[in-house]
Amino acid sequence: IFEYNGSALVAMVGKNCFAIASDRRLGVQLQTIATDFQRIYKIHDKLFIGLAGLATDAQTLYQKLVFRHKLYQLREERDMKPQTFASLVSALLYEKRFGPFFCQPVIAGLGDEDKPFICTMDSIGAKELAKDFVVAGTASESLYGACEAMFKPDMEAEELFETISQALLSSVDRDCLSGWGGHVYVVTPTEVTERILKGRMD
Amino acid sequence: MSRRYDSRTTIFSPEGRLYQVEYAMEAIGNAGTAIGILSNDGVVLVGEKKVTSKLLQTSTSTEKMYKIDDHVSCAVAGIMSDANILINTARVQAQRYTYAYQEPMPVEQLVQSLCDTKQGYTQFGGLRPFGVSFLFGGWDKNYGFQLYMSDPSGNYGGWKAAAIGANNQAAQSMLKQDYKDDITREEAVQLALKVLSKTMDSTSLTSDKLELAEVFLSAGKVKYQVLSPESLSKLLVSIGLTQPAAEVT
Repeated sequence: IFEYNGSALVAMVGKNCFAIASDRRLGVQLQTIATDFQRIYKIHDKLFIGLAGLATDAQTLYQKLVFRHKLYQLREERDMKPQTFASLVSALLYEKRFGPFFCQPVIAGLGDEDKPFICTMDSIGAKELAKDFVVAGTASESLYGACEAMFKPDMEAEELFETISQALLSSVDRDCLSGWGGHVYVVTPTEVTERILKGRMD
Repeated sequence: MSRRYDSRTTIFSPEGRLYQVEYAMEAIGNAGTAIGILSNDGVVLVGEKKVTSKLLQTSTSTEKMYKIDDHVSCAVAGIMSDANILINTARVQAQRYTYAYQEPMPVEQLVQSLCDTKQGYTQFGGLRPFGVSFLFGGWDKNYGFQLYMSDPSGNYGGWKAAAIGANNQAAQSMLKQDYKDDITREEAVQLALKVLSKTMDSTSLTSDKLELAEVFLSAGKVKYQVLSPESLSKLLVSIGLTQPAAEVT
């Protein structure tokens, strides 16, 4: 079921910044039905979540997260920290332990003092915190290899963008279910840059 | 007379009145005034803060103004603890609607569903009604800017200008005289502050006794802004309702 729609997600940590990138293909098994599908969503200015896996579950899970986060914002009058948000996602996923959401989230945000935070989890909420990069989706195996090779710690925003884009594009080329370009968000404490990549459109 | 009928909230009196609901409205008559004015480009809500001790921690949270959702906010008059419960209920209802329909809840529907909750306490359960009145100000794409007033009985109405809390009759009649249909948001702010200054007990208005919030459109999105004490002071001075602070040499 995880390979029904196809997806590729990666997040990387840089120096006081992070980048999160996804592919843009939405397919129904072998047929491509959209080439502009959004997998990365903004929760607030310094927190992004990407959802890989079954597209319908990704959309519903996102809507549930918006619900919970909005109430948190209204009640606490502040934005959620990425670590707290990750725990929220993990709890939501575990609630459905015996009938899970077929999604793998990738969470990336700037926490206290703008320290970058990334994590991923499996579809029932097991958190995997990493200091360098996290990957998810059908292309995850190639992404692991590409990131391990290309990653250096403490990259600045521009270099981080280049690295994550190269890692994403080369990995999705090896995976038939993901591709059709890339969508990259680079987030620093002062601004968010969103860029669309053109790769092998297949 | 008819004292026997007071203690049960869910029973009519022989004259056909619900005493508990009326007593709840009495309780609100002792609370700080709140005024709402609808203008052609926004809704203005002003509230009088009753608790102004120096010892009170002035945190960022407000006493009378609350945000329900990005496009709706409200001013409160009455028992604060009751208000908190209702505000929470309203927030959850708004989010549930957004989750189901993926669009913001229309203001009237939100007011209606909250009033349905309030009405439930006047008909079953044996619990007392909420001692709160609300002024809801918001925007939706069907009807634009709207102002609603609701009371403990669960009644609500759409208004162009309304007042709740202490001296609300006096405030309401003043608003009736001075309100014009094509009032702008700036004029509405001035009118609200003027009316409030006349109905408040104290001689002069200072920014620590008031809260002012505006709901307006900015760059196509609805914004809810509570004025900071500094901007409020400047505004009061410019309208001539406060003497400017003496220059410190």
